[in-house]
Amino acid sequence: MTWAWRRLRVLFSTQFALMAEYRAEVIIWMLSGTLSLVMMLVWMAQAAAAPGGQVRGYSPAEFATYFLATWLVSQLMVVWVAHELDPAIRQGQLSPWLLRPLDPFWSYFIGHVAERFVRLPALLALVALFAWLAGAQFTREWWVYPAVVGLAALGFTVRFLWEYLIGLLAFWTDSSTSFQELVWLLYAALGGMFAPLAFYPEWVQRVAVWTPFPYMLGLPAQLLSGKATAEQAGQGAAVLLGWGVIFVLLRLWVWRAGLRRYGAVGA
Amino acid sequence: MTRYLRLVRVFTGASVSAQLEYRANFFGAVLASLGEAGVALLGISILFGQPGATSVGGWTFREALLVTGFFMLTEGFISVVVQPNMSRISEAIRTGNMDFTLLKPIDAQFNVSVRYLNLLRFPDVLLGLGLLLYASAGLPVTLAGVLSAATLYLSSLVIVYCIWLGLSTTAFWLVKTQNVSELFNGVFGAARFPVTAFPVPVRVVLTFVVPVAFITTVPAQALVGSLTPALALASPVVAAALFWVTRRFWLYAVASYTSASS
Repeated sequence: MTWAWRRLRVLFSTQFALMAEYRAEVIIWMLSGTLSLVMMLVWMAQAAAAPGGQVRGYSPAEFATYFLATWLVSQLMVVWVAHELDPAIRQGQLSPWLLRPLDPFWSYFIGHVAERFVRLPALLALVALFAWLAGAQFTREWWVYPAVVGLAALGFTVRFLWEYLIGLLAFWTDSSTSFQELVWLLYAALGGMFAPLAFYPEWVQRVAVWTPFPYMLGLPAQLLSGKATAEQAGQGAAVLLGWGVIFVLLRLWVWRAGLRRYGAVGA
Repeated sequence: MTRYLRLVRVFTGASVSAQLEYRANFFGAVLASLGEAGVALLGISILFGQPGATSVGGWTFREALLVTGFFMLTEGFISVVVQPNMSRISEAIRTGNMDFTLLKPIDAQFNVSVRYLNLLRFPDVLLGLGLLLYASAGLPVTLAGVLSAATLYLSSLVIVYCIWLGLSTTAFWLVKTQNVSELFNGVFGAARFPVTAFPVPVRVVLTFVVPVAFITTVPAQALVGSLTPALALASPVVAAALFWVTRRFWLYAVASYTSASS
């Protein structure tokens, strides 16, 4: 146990130092993920112009709450591992990693986790500022906050795993970025970045509940707006766990199959 | 002039033959284009899919599709022409390769702007044009509207090019500019909706601070014939002013360039 703990601590502190180097960039990256903010402004204007000042029971302030919460959660779920794995595999940089007594998966994973801690202070400050400007109000129920942190951690892990899988495709193909874009589209759309899921056509909703996406963005956002119950949070966590297990097994299998294929450059 | 046109042809040919090496990439690029089109359409169709929603910011569905069409067309222009070239500027400055560009007997700004074309993303342009055709088929579009929209869209392209070039030129001092273009993409995302779909204070920012409104909303207004003469004049004026400013800025940057090693 202490063995694993020491590795974790060393990995975390080195990765944190590495990510802290990029603190200015991290803020720019945060500001460039504007899709949910754009959608927030459009929906707020739609609700303000609608008769009764509401669209499907959402007032402008409630839209502000929902979309700011989506933005917050989506910022915690940013994953770029596919972009790093792709050149590592193609150019043979993976080889020295394979000599270490630790699956490279863990370095990437801890690196992403460490970056969350670099991101968090500025992220919370920006959310507070935007919430004040747009008139968003987050729920006062205390249990929601640990639940959201838990769902976000699960959601991040699931997203990290599928991005890692896409990155591993570099063992076989030379263009994984387009797959990544497609999966991102599904995640953003079914996650509820364009609108709360209840606004989608019914057949889309019926498909979406079986995917992990609605529980990664929409559900935490609904919780923070005070529009979801503890029971729904529990169900969401169960679905995410299920997908997490599937992706973990897939990852192990693809990794082994990939290594058998891997020739490295010049090997 | 003919010399520069010939150069464009040579550069295009070189880009095509370089890219044909990676045939599998083409399939991926088509998927990515379709995905982007999907995102753009989904956002707009959910907005109109709500009970009682007949317009967004005073635009009907077909009219709003025109804005989406111009948005996709512009995204195509950016990924085919602007981004591949502009992203190489900071790299060239960092490695010192900019020296070779500056020594060539053609205008350096022209060279850095059109040397590389990412033709894999050309489907974006086709999808944008297709959407524009589909949307305008159900609208009373006049020939005068089409001509003025085409002219105003040229101003849009100049505006987009100038903003990117201006941002990339800062690389002469800052060296790393990739993040600045990320920021542009973030703001440009607002152009997928008509500017009137935003709350009034945001509208002002999108028109006068970052001229996103001129890129997609104004040409679409020209197409449906709801354009005010003031805006019709403002768009080319903004484009010309931006072009002049970025040209000055570029020349100033090149004059103060001291190569990578000194």
